[in-house]
Amino acid sequence: MAGDIPMENFLILSAILFGIGFYGVLARRSAILILVAVELMLAAVTINMVAFAAYLDPERFTGVIFAIFVITVAAAEVGLALGIVLRLFRDRQTAMVDEASDLKW
Amino acid sequence: MIERLPLPAPLAALLRRAFYPEGSFRLPLPAQLDRVIIYGGLVAGAVLTPILLVLIVLLVINVLTAPELVFWLASAVIIGGALGAVLLKNIVHAALSLVMTLLGVAAIFLLLGSEFLALVQILVYGGGVTVLLLFGLMLTNATDDPIVSDGAQKPFAFLIGIGLAGILSVALVDQVWGAPTASMVPFRELGKRLFLDFGAPFEIASLVLVIALIGAIAIARRDRPEDTEDAAMGDGA
Repeated sequence: MAGDIPMENFLILSAILFGIGFYGVLARRSAILILVAVELMLAAVTINMVAFAAYLDPERFTGVIFAIFVITVAAAEVGLALGIVLRLFRDRQTAMVDEASDLKW
Repeated sequence: MIERLPLPAPLAALLRRAFYPEGSFRLPLPAQLDRVIIYGGLVAGAVLTPILLVLIVLLVINVLTAPELVFWLASAVIIGGALGAVLLKNIVHAALSLVMTLLGVAAIFLLLGSEFLALVQILVYGGGVTVLLLFGLMLTNATDDPIVSDGAQKPFAFLIGIGLAGILSVALVDQVWGAPTASMVPFRELGKRLFLDFGAPFEIASLVLVIALIGAIAIARRDRPEDTEDAAMGDGA
């Protein structure tokens, strides 16, 4: 158990992970790698919420419940986004986000 | 493959015997993954063994406690895997590097006393999401062209990522949290809270999953010619 670790350690770990994920979302071109980076950001947010639940809200642990919902929605999001990427690849023969720029004027 | 690795001869012979044995025994490994397994294992071992050794020395001389050792090791795994996932050029390796991060996050959940979340994390992310991502890579362009370049906005992305992590960290350290201590999340209470207090959101989450999966099927489905003919005939009748 994490009794004697300061809570800031978990929060800073989560901040660094979020920054790495944000970099990945902005820097990558492949749509699936952008999804991977989004998963990193979601993992960072989940760590944050579980740390708050364990340290600040031990009677009601709402953060853990929210983490369960985040994982659920993330799974649904990956399934849906991969469907869209497969469709994009079948119609355009590319999975790079900067080559699908029809709405950019 | 093994001959080309810069390894001492006895180790190379051992690896060769493990992966390509002459006798009847063979490790139950898919041959295509040899390179990924060997390189990934060597890199992970080379990075993590010194970190583990330093942490164990600190534990022995009582600078660290055991939970802190687990925390720093899991942090090293998480940050290393995340950097691999956003920096590696080969998209399959980047997706596999994500698994490392997600398993490290499961270790952090265990450390924070939520076994249920750790199990869900391993099942949903380590199993489902990773396999989905690899299928997505396989069905798009990973086989023809596994190396992708990054966008032109990479320097700005780097600055924004560093800046965001820095601002968040400074804000977190600046806040006075009052030194709380962590406590275990009881399994039974978690179930009560999830299914009683959060019953309606739970049901809505199941609805979201169903709608997302049906939507994914509807979007990704191949338009077969006979379907459009049927539709045309239906319109005519």
